[in-house]
Amino acid sequence: MSMKAGGNRSKPGGGSAAGAPAPGAGGSGGGRQNLGRGRHSGKGPAAVIFNGVYANMRMVHVLTSVVGTKCELKVKDGAVYEGVFKTYGPECDLVLDAAHCKSPEPSIGPRKEDIVESIIFKASDVVVVTFKDVDLSFAKKVSSDTDNFTDAAVSSRINGEHKEKDLEPWDGGETHNSDSLESLDTDVSNGWDPNDMFKYNEEKYGVMSTYDSSLSTYTVPLERDNSEEFLKREARASQLAEEIEASATYKARVALENDERSEEEKYTAVVRGEREPHTLGSRENKYIPPGQRNREAMSWGPGRQNSPRLAPGSAGPPTPRPGPHDYSPNSGADQRVVNGGSSHWPSPCPPPSSRPPSRYQSGPSSLPPRAATPTRPPSRPPSRPSRPPSHSSHPSYPSSSSSFSHHGPTSPASTLPKRMSSEGPPRMSPKSQRTPRAHRVPPCRTTGIPPGVDLISHNAPGEVPVTTPSRSSSSGGTWSSVVSGAHRPRSPRQNSMGGASPSSSSLPPPQTGSAPVETVVTPTSASSPTAACPAPNMVASSTGDAKECRVQETRQTSPTANKENIKPLESTPSIPRPVCKGPPSMAPDHRKQIDNLKKFSVDFRLQSSSNPDPAFDQMMTKPPRDPADKPKDLPLDKSSSVAREGNEEGVVVIAAGTAAGAPAPSSANTNTSKPGSPAALSPSPSAPDLKRSGLDVASQGVQTTATFSGAKHEEKEEKKEAVQDQVRKSTLNPNANEFKPRFNTQPKPANTPTPPRPQGQPSPSIVVQQPPAVYSQTVCFPQMYPLTPVSPGVQKSIIWKSPAMYQVQMPHMTVSQSKPYRP
Amino acid sequence: MAAPGPGEYFNVGSHVSCLTCLGQRLQGEVVAFDYQSKMLTLKCASSSGKPNLYDVILINLAYVSEVDIINDRTETPPPLASLNVSKLANRARSEKEDKLSQAYAISAGVSVEGQQLFQTIHKTIKDCKWQEKNIIVMDDVVISPPYQVENCKGKEGSALSHVRKIVEKHFRDVESQKSMQRSQAQQTQKDSTLSS
Repeated sequence: MSMKAGGNRSKPGGGSAAGAPAPGAGGSGGGRQNLGRGRHSGKGPAAVIFNGVYANMRMVHVLTSVVGTKCELKVKDGAVYEGVFKTYGPECDLVLDAAHCKSPEPSIGPRKEDIVESIIFKASDVVVVTFKDVDLSFAKKVSSDTDNFTDAAVSSRINGEHKEKDLEPWDGGETHNSDSLESLDTDVSNGWDPNDMFKYNEEKYGVMSTYDSSLSTYTVPLERDNSEEFLKREARASQLAEEIEASATYKARVALENDERSEEEKYTAVVRGEREPHTLGSRENKYIPPGQRNREAMSWGPGRQNSPRLAPGSAGPPTPRPGPHDYSPNSGADQRVVNGGSSHWPSPCPPPSSRPPSRYQSGPSSLPPRAATPTRPPSRPPSRPSRPPSHSSHPSYPSSSSSFSHHGPTSPASTLPKRMSSEGPPRMSPKSQRTPRAHRVPPCRTTGIPPGVDLISHNAPGEVPVTTPSRSSSSGGTWSSVVSGAHRPRSPRQNSMGGASPSSSSLPPPQTGSAPVETVVTPTSASSPTAACPAPNMVASSTGDAKECRVQETRQTSPTANKENIKPLESTPSIPRPVCKGPPSMAPDHRKQIDNLKKFSVDFRLQSSSNPDPAFDQMMTKPPRDPADKPKDLPLDKSSSVAREGNEEGVVVIAAGTAAGAPAPSSANTNTSKPGSPAALSPSPSAPDLKRSGLDVASQGVQTTATFSGAKHEEKEEKKEAVQDQVRKSTLNPNANEFKPRFNTQPKPANTPTPPRPQGQPSPSIVVQQPPAVYSQTVCFPQMYPLTPVSPGVQKSIIWKSPAMYQVQMPHMTVSQSKPYRP
Repeated sequence: MAAPGPGEYFNVGSHVSCLTCLGQRLQGEVVAFDYQSKMLTLKCASSSGKPNLYDVILINLAYVSEVDIINDRTETPPPLASLNVSKLANRARSEKEDKLSQAYAISAGVSVEGQQLFQTIHKTIKDCKWQEKNIIVMDDVVISPPYQVENCKGKEGSALSHVRKIVEKHFRDVESQKSMQRSQAQQTQKDSTLSS
């Protein structure tokens, strides 16, 4: 017999439906005796034997479905009880909640006195139970209730053996009858024309469109009145519009918006064929790992004069100052400079090899438009090295430094870019590699200042690209202006000019001051070394300096440093020194700030540490008073007074509290916490006073201090340091019992839990209570908690007993509680 | 008492009619039958007339004198759906609370009209309860005795106006009912006078 319903009782579980009642009932009758047998069936959890009516699937289902509905139960003597059907037992005992005996005459409703919380009716007493207006699918599990699509839910619906489904590949069919499925993919019409849409809707559905293309409901049309005023305004408006639309910012934005390139094109596609063909610059854009940079620089072209000389791994022979961007790849056709310095002055910036070439444009080439995102290689290849003498004719740098004459080939030879002292860049490279490009620029830029200086100084030697001074100054200017906080975001105009003029104009005096000085200095020195011989030495020495400076500069790198090209600066022996001065000249500013901050923090600390003292003194005066008070009030008073004093230290309070409160516990500890006060405190509290309160006070003290210090936290956060100092100094034992967090142990007024009493008079006989919790605990469904005979403690339900015949029935029934049924 | 013999079972789905020992006739479609407890569950169309609702009747066959099978069915009954137990428990609890709250209101001495109004409102808006002698509807509207339209107080809004409408309708119905009763009474009176 398929009584073994498995887990889900609601499921018919195979054949138990039809004709089940009888076998089920019959079986269940014997089932009780067969329990043992059932248990030994060895099927395990799947086989749950249900007793009595619980075994009857359908009965269980229907009776469960009506739980919670109002019902009328007629007992064998004719009385009718109305109540909420709560549950039923295996013997089909029925439980009614909030039941009252229905009186024959129509009345408004039962009074609460008439209502019995719960009545159990034995099946044999029940004649008929009527459930009216029941929705049998009320409790049906709906997919919205449960997650029908989880594995668990799906498997739970399988009633029976769970076997693996045979999986078949989905076959969508070869042909589609309707083209609509495919046509969407190929549809490029971007939908309907609005007018067609409106027409279609109108015709097909009779829906009139209220679209007003003039958008009169949203906006008021502009009236042309052809007055002078109007025309003036109109002209002004169109002028502004032109201005805006001509601005590079706007154009850039619009370009971004209208960019029709695919994502791939935008971001990931390989750039091909866009670069200007460069002869020697084949490696200029290639990324060279740091370890190889110097080597490469070194290895370029034995023909290059400077390469051998560039001893300490100076990777970048005179690289065009574009500086950070610049690096080994040296295309300079006429240049024999290793560093692709072509006509550029070697830049004191870190060897170009440290920077991916593609990032920055060389000096000579015009700056990439500002709009280009820094992270993207400019579409125009930095063909700096590949641009030979064009530098001289470079138009984009209308630098004021007309002093720069053509930069001859020799100059690069003689001037090794400070960058050659490669330590700087390599040292910086990890950082620069770590950080976004912008980061790289700054270091370079900082060195750019010296380069700038160098350039200025080198006007004699070479054709310093016009841009250089401006660049350098700009970079320098920008840098120092950044330091001094005067940095302005570069406008597009600046970009086109290498940011020269605006920034140079913003160049703070110190910088300009230093520049001319160096300008003065360097020419002399520049003129002296004509050969490359001294250069290396100088370079070597300058290397160290440059290194230093660069290191400093690195620290000061400002993310706002633009990556515009910094002219490759030729580094002369003298350069390094001024170079070093350069950055240091800026560094001081920055350092000053740092120092200020440090000083401030120190001062701050000092002050705060001094703060507790006055408060502490006050504390000292207080304790002597305290013992006089009642011990119980002592901690409270003290803490309150302390609060008034504005003593913020929790530690102090604790010290006070504990000192006052506990002569015995940890008094020794507390005494030592504050040098003076505990001593003052300990004698003061008179032992006898405190002893009797003793622990109490201590506890209270700790309690209050806990709360007090809690309150104080919000107030004086800045004094935390002082507190910490004191805590450090304190020898309080943090593990002492007193410091364990105490919850409120104050005896509260005893709250006898009174159940919510309904209004009106409580019934003397049966208390109609409303503890829903009780009911929720007694789960009423057989499969979960078979109903056990009522235990009065759980709920105040009574068992209906048939009253003796010919007697007044009602009162008896209400009074008799938990009396067994006596037929 | 005609208890069905061991061989007599009821096929689920068949129509049956019973006569109880108290003289009540019940009939409906068999939903379940438990032989051991002799409990037969029938369902029939709801007395309120709503289509989705049923009246379920649980009959103790021990107290039934006659059982007639009107319409036997032998086909397999439909499978049983899963039940949402928590939903049922919630329903039980809330019904019980409703009943108790109403009882308290009655005990508080609310007038008959108030009780009737409460019933009326409750039919439409389930969320109404008693508070002393006031009816609280949706925690927003308070109706105090004598429970007239103007006694509806609360936050101005759709709820308040809705409640007012209900109250108004209720009293109109009551009035019309009363007038009908009155007219009926008068009619009978007239008849009696006429006849006499």
